Amino acid sequence: MADLKRLQVAVEVGDRETAVSVTEEALHEGIPPLVILDSMTDAMGVVGDRFARQEIYVPEMLISARAMKAALALLEPLLIGSGHRPDKIAVMGTIKGDLHDIGKNLVAMMLKGANFEIVDLGTNTPADEFMAAAREHRADLIGISALLTTTMGNMRSVVEAVRAATDLPHLRVIVGGAPVTRDFAVRIEADGWAPDAASAVDVAKAVVETARGRTAHSGFIDPDVVAALRAAAVAAV
Amino acid sequence: MRLQAITCDMLLRPVEHLAARSPHEVVLCELSASLHVETASLRERIQAEIDRIEGADPEADAIVLVYGLCGGATAGLVARTRPFVLPRAHDCATIFLGSRERYQREHEAVPGTYWFTEDQVKRGNALKGWLLGDAERSEGVEATYRAYVEKYGQENADYLMEALGEWQSHYERGAYLETGLAPDDAAARRAQQESELRGWRFERLASDLSLFERLLWGEWDDDFLVVRPGERLAMSFDADVVRAVPAS
Repeated sequence: MADLKRLQVAVEVGDRETAVSVTEEALHEGIPPLVILDSMTDAMGVVGDRFARQEIYVPEMLISARAMKAALALLEPLLIGSGHRPDKIAVMGTIKGDLHDIGKNLVAMMLKGANFEIVDLGTNTPADEFMAAAREHRADLIGISALLTTTMGNMRSVVEAVRAATDLPHLRVIVGGAPVTRDFAVRIEADGWAPDAASAVDVAKAVVETARGRTAHSGFIDPDVVAALRAAAVAAV
Repeated sequence: MRLQAITCDMLLRPVEHLAARSPHEVVLCELSASLHVETASLRERIQAEIDRIEGADPEADAIVLVYGLCGGATAGLVARTRPFVLPRAHDCATIFLGSRERYQREHEAVPGTYWFTEDQVKRGNALKGWLLGDAERSEGVEATYRAYVEKYGQENADYLMEALGEWQSHYERGAYLETGLAPDDAAARRAQQESELRGWRFERLASDLSLFERLLWGEWDDDFLVVRPGERLAMSFDADVVRAVPAS
């Protein structure tokens, strides 16, 4: 009998084999794919919280995300077949001049688990490629990463291109990466910023929800804003 | 002047050479390049040295940092009682190349460049992270791999080494920064081996030591930033690279 708690633990500890086998069992028993997906998303939420508390670090996040990705691969054909599509689309890439992508890859994996469709442009991505992909895929969000202080400045041109795109009024842009500070993100007028992959998921969700008019917030979004929005939502209940 | 210099040990050869020839008294403190693994650690360590020097040598004319921005590690450093000065550089490749402009040209031409210096190769620090997939893994990498196997199992450990080392497949050039000061070719040849192992083309680039010279000889023009007591170093997000802001 499939035990979704075992699936959650498997994702939390990065046990890919168990995550896949429990998912197979669960599907075989007719447990709805969306229910299984929810378990995995909850598990990645736990992983993100542990990372935020510095109980785990990047290697643990990577193996958890990989376990989830393998299990998710079993669900995807069924979800698509039943007409379920992710309701948010993000174009991700490392900025022009920068060839590092670990952070971006981790965020992309975690966003997939949070019901985003991801268009991954890889590394060394100039502004016009981000914009072309955003248009082609009708993206909600562009997520840019940088590992080098040398290349961070190139993020400005993506923000400018997004603002100039009057045909894409709902498109937003978030930035991150080791040297990318909140101060920099505010200065280049990005819509959001996160200091790590775990909080990037919450910021990405909040930025898209805000663009859709579903939050009472306007303006720059960082993890503190996400926490405040959550607190306000709880208080309102 | 008496200058208290704090230098990364990847730059030792040119620093010692030019400190010895400086018209000023230069006291050297070297810090391990391995501190770069964690930017907060590097920042804390340099600040601890700045604080120590300010306490131990209140008559020092200035503290010289032979560092660039180094991924943001030096942003946040505070000068309390003595000024400190550093080059306007994203990292030490600029210092070896001799100018921000030359570094920018090299970076734009070949963004996937791994920079080697004599001291870095000799200390084996640079590649301690991610030598992969061959019999020549460094000790540091082997130890990391064994720790991952023990903690996460072999399958996860293999995945981690691949994922964390993947950046190497995006790079195309190993560039050895030739200072003309090394006693032999050993470091350059080792850099070439490391490059070829990864399928990178190898180039030797001639350094221009003028930034080192001006830094250690007290000739601080627009290519340098002096951070005065009561100021803090910050990123400028423009061609100046760094700026000084009030510390509080």
